Amino acid sequence: MNPEIIALVATFAPLIAFLPAITLYRSRPAMAATLVIGACALTTLCTWVLLLGGAQPEPIVRSWLVSGDMDLTFGFLLDGTSLLMGCIVSTVALCVMIYSVGYMEKDGSKGRFFALLGLFTWSMLSFVYAASLLQAFIFWELVGLCSFLLIGFWYRKPDAIAAAKKAFIMTRIGDVGLMIGLIVLLKDAGTLDIAAINTPEAIAGLDNLDLICGLMFMGIIGKSAQFPLHTWLPDAMAGPTPVSALLHSATMVAAGVFLFARFHPLFMASPTVLAWVVGIATFTAVLASTMAMVAYDIKKVLAYSSISQLGFMLMGLAAGSLYAGVFHLTTHAAFKALLFLCAGAYIHHVGVNDMVAIGRGGARRLKVTSLCFIVGAFALAGLPPLAGFFSKEAIIAQLGETQGGIIVGGAYLAAFMTAYYTFRMVFLILRPDANSKAEIHPSGIVTSDHAHSAHEPPWNMRGPLVVLAAFAVVLGFMGGNVAGLLGVDAIELHLSGAAPAVMTALAGVALAWFEFGRPGSEQVGFLDKMPAVADVLRNRWYIDSAYRNVVTGGAIRTAKAAYRMETKGLDAAGDSVGNATLDVGEVTAESQGGRVQVYLATVITFAALMILFLSLGLSN
Amino acid sequence: MSAHLLSLIMACPLVATVGVLVARDDRMVKVISAVAGAASLVLAMMVWAGYDRALGGFQFAETYDWIPRFGIQFAIAVDGIGVVLVALNALVYITGVLSMWSLELRVKEYFAFMNILVFGVFGVFTSLDLFAFFFFYEVAVLPMYPLIAVWGSTRKEYSAMKLTLFLMAGSALLFPGLIALYYESGLDTWNIIALSEAKYDPTFQFFIYPFLYIGFGILAGMFPFHGWSPTGHVAAPTAVSMLHAGVLMKLGAFGILRIAMTILPEGAADWAPVFAGLATVNIVYGAFVAMRQTDFKYVIGFSSVSHMGIVLLGLNTLTIDGINGAVFQMFAHGVMTALFFSAVGFIYDQTHDRDIRHFGGLIRQLPTAVTFFLIAGLCGIGVPGFASFWAELLVFIAAVQVYPVLGVLSVAGLIFTAAYMLRVFGKALFGPVNEKWSHLREPTPFEMIPRVMLIGVLVAFGFFPRWILDIIDTATHVLAAVP
Repeated sequence: MNPEIIALVATFAPLIAFLPAITLYRSRPAMAATLVIGACALTTLCTWVLLLGGAQPEPIVRSWLVSGDMDLTFGFLLDGTSLLMGCIVSTVALCVMIYSVGYMEKDGSKGRFFALLGLFTWSMLSFVYAASLLQAFIFWELVGLCSFLLIGFWYRKPDAIAAAKKAFIMTRIGDVGLMIGLIVLLKDAGTLDIAAINTPEAIAGLDNLDLICGLMFMGIIGKSAQFPLHTWLPDAMAGPTPVSALLHSATMVAAGVFLFARFHPLFMASPTVLAWVVGIATFTAVLASTMAMVAYDIKKVLAYSSISQLGFMLMGLAAGSLYAGVFHLTTHAAFKALLFLCAGAYIHHVGVNDMVAIGRGGARRLKVTSLCFIVGAFALAGLPPLAGFFSKEAIIAQLGETQGGIIVGGAYLAAFMTAYYTFRMVFLILRPDANSKAEIHPSGIVTSDHAHSAHEPPWNMRGPLVVLAAFAVVLGFMGGNVAGLLGVDAIELHLSGAAPAVMTALAGVALAWFEFGRPGSEQVGFLDKMPAVADVLRNRWYIDSAYRNVVTGGAIRTAKAAYRMETKGLDAAGDSVGNATLDVGEVTAESQGGRVQVYLATVITFAALMILFLSLGLSN
Repeated sequence: MSAHLLSLIMACPLVATVGVLVARDDRMVKVISAVAGAASLVLAMMVWAGYDRALGGFQFAETYDWIPRFGIQFAIAVDGIGVVLVALNALVYITGVLSMWSLELRVKEYFAFMNILVFGVFGVFTSLDLFAFFFFYEVAVLPMYPLIAVWGSTRKEYSAMKLTLFLMAGSALLFPGLIALYYESGLDTWNIIALSEAKYDPTFQFFIYPFLYIGFGILAGMFPFHGWSPTGHVAAPTAVSMLHAGVLMKLGAFGILRIAMTILPEGAADWAPVFAGLATVNIVYGAFVAMRQTDFKYVIGFSSVSHMGIVLLGLNTLTIDGINGAVFQMFAHGVMTALFFSAVGFIYDQTHDRDIRHFGGLIRQLPTAVTFFLIAGLCGIGVPGFASFWAELLVFIAAVQVYPVLGVLSVAGLIFTAAYMLRVFGKALFGPVNEKWSHLREPTPFEMIPRVMLIGVLVAFGFFPRWILDIIDTATHVLAAVP
């Protein structure tokens, strides 16, 4: 079949389901859910058919907008990168939707929830398949909108609304950069077609290459939550957990990384920007990991780890390996969605977010969930033979080839901390020890709307967990297939490279075992024993409060100043001129008390003057 | 019939005015106005469909002598820009009438004034004669005073007077400018096309252009002469706000484009950087002031100041993309603000309260009515999928290239726009539910008609920008001001 038609069906099926779903969401929530899930199943089928059909090197485009000599096109670019990402998006989305049938069962707004997930799937897939940067940008923005609506899904909770606003505005700061970058690119290259821009000739012809890459990277920083725009992602956990699994870890935040992969040849031509990307990504990976080491909210730990893993992907890409970055994106999508959905199952059945409370609430009794959780944890920590090991190892190997000691050291440090906080989480939840001195933090307790007794979740929640766990196991061995799809060489696994990475991860696990896992452990981390340090980390290095005081405060002060100028300056000036005019009007038209007359009189006077002028002009 | 389409369109509100005055009851008044509005919309769509894009230029022309002694004619025709704006006016006309269906106070007089206003606007968008242009311009502006002072709210007399005085000041600048154009050309004609071919002296252009730009610019809400506009928006009744922000402000921008930039292209080039700078102030300053407002309508009023800045910035880039974007934005913003005021009007009619701090979680109580506001807000933020995204994108593409600093500032304005709009969303539409408003009712299917029409237009052009840009493009290609 024609790939264009399959791609059209794949992208538009969720949108077509969205329309009835959003109108029916109140009266027929179950029907809305069924429609969207059915559409997403069709989409998933189509994306896999496209993937198995192989890459289409030629973009399929249509002219969309003509203004002057500018001709902007829309279409599909179905190369290996987008086909792979398309499968990831649709498959994870389908798993999350099926899971949500159980998770959102008691929620009165579940119809709206599924409608929005449909809208998201359409936006995200259209972004992935987009043939031009403008088209990608449009859906990038729509994905951001879906994110806003889904973070603020429980719109009566003030913290959810604040988090939604924060996410929208922080990512939009990056988007402003991306938009300007897009305009400069359009000016330099004369086109926004991704395939046309990624040719060596086109790249050589760009006058402002560094500027373009830098501005585009701004957008990536915002969307993929890298320092300094990372602060929105942890707050975004205020949304329902399936949303966190889908949007804020596996797919949407990966959009930034994907955009980088999309323009890999372009970015490769700008060493200056690449150096910045590697630096920022490494710094972010370390920074986010430090915050994860002291968090007690399970969703926060996972959120920080997403930021950190996104940093890893960007490190791999910017170090020159398209394969390493995209491979890690793929495996991460599977195991991070898995971890979040497991977290959701715990939260759903224990009713709290705090890891200590979840552990004591009997998380161990959820056998299937806990098994899947362990699989996900192994993958995240980078332990063989799980998927995360292979992809992270490829990144570290690539860094070792091309980067200096600080970057490689940073990567190892982040990998160590990742293993530590991952297993700290596992042990706190699965080994609630009687000797534990860990306290349930009041701030970490978020009472869920649906607390149940601790028993195994229903099949529609377990099924997706098992599927994702299977992916987390097998994907690691699919590196060759990924490389083949991308048309690049895979990075071979060498014992000399793999050994230090495995040792680092094991060291992290060992430390976690000593502090949290071994029988009789006090379950108090080494950082908790240093209150000053733990305080800094828990306050997220005070970055959020600095933003609140300086940036938000500055904006409010500016707005106040503008408001003062408007009311006390311009309005007052206008009023005094107006009053003066009226006084003159009163004097000149004493017999007329009204005000409309003043205006009419003036118009008539002017008209008379005009006719006088004209007569003079004609008599000359 | 197609030869007289434009005069038929103009006849609709005029006949409706007469009909309204002789109508026996209030219901009849509303029906007459609605029929006239619907007829003008159908005719405007016929003009849109019948306009020959390959041919371009001014079409559907009709010319009659009016005051031959001074060479004044009643000459009407539309180019691509006119087609779009005539359609905008017809759309806001019919949706405005439908949004005021529940009016009970002095219905006859209200609709008479409103029809006259609409008539004047149609006249401005189609006139090719400078004198007639100005005549219709005044016809459109004049009814605003009684419409606000009688049917308005919140300091209505002050607002009506402020509006009138500001616009009168604009007219006072325009008059000498227009007379100078006539006098200096020595052609004894008021025909805009003829005048645009007259070669004016560069010094003359330099001195006269600001009179025309600022004169029209006041009506377009240019900084620092925008003060009348938010107060006017707030005080006016729903349909008048819709017409005021949706169409009337566009008259100013249209005047700049059709008169000032077309007849004095060199003056436009001289002054463009200055006025582009002021337009950027509009964008950023308007957004910041909007952040501090507590009244729904004031927020929208200052968002109009900000969004009209995008129109003015686009015009001042003097490029095809920029002017295409500006005209597109005139249309998109017109539809969007009409939707805004229509949505707020529906809520205000029931609550008699517009303070955003007095609401909370309103979407729980009024999911449909609030969704209308939400969609207008998303359109205002520049979310793709709605018409204004394309309009703003085109202006930004032009502005970043012509004025890099101003362009970047105006793109950054998107952040502040999002900030003030999300603030309203967060305070009034979302958040803890205020039980005080649990008794409010949702719109009936009939009341939804105008709002759904406006949303349909925003989404249609949001997905298929070519439908409108191809027709605008035919006009901007031949503009004298574009080098």
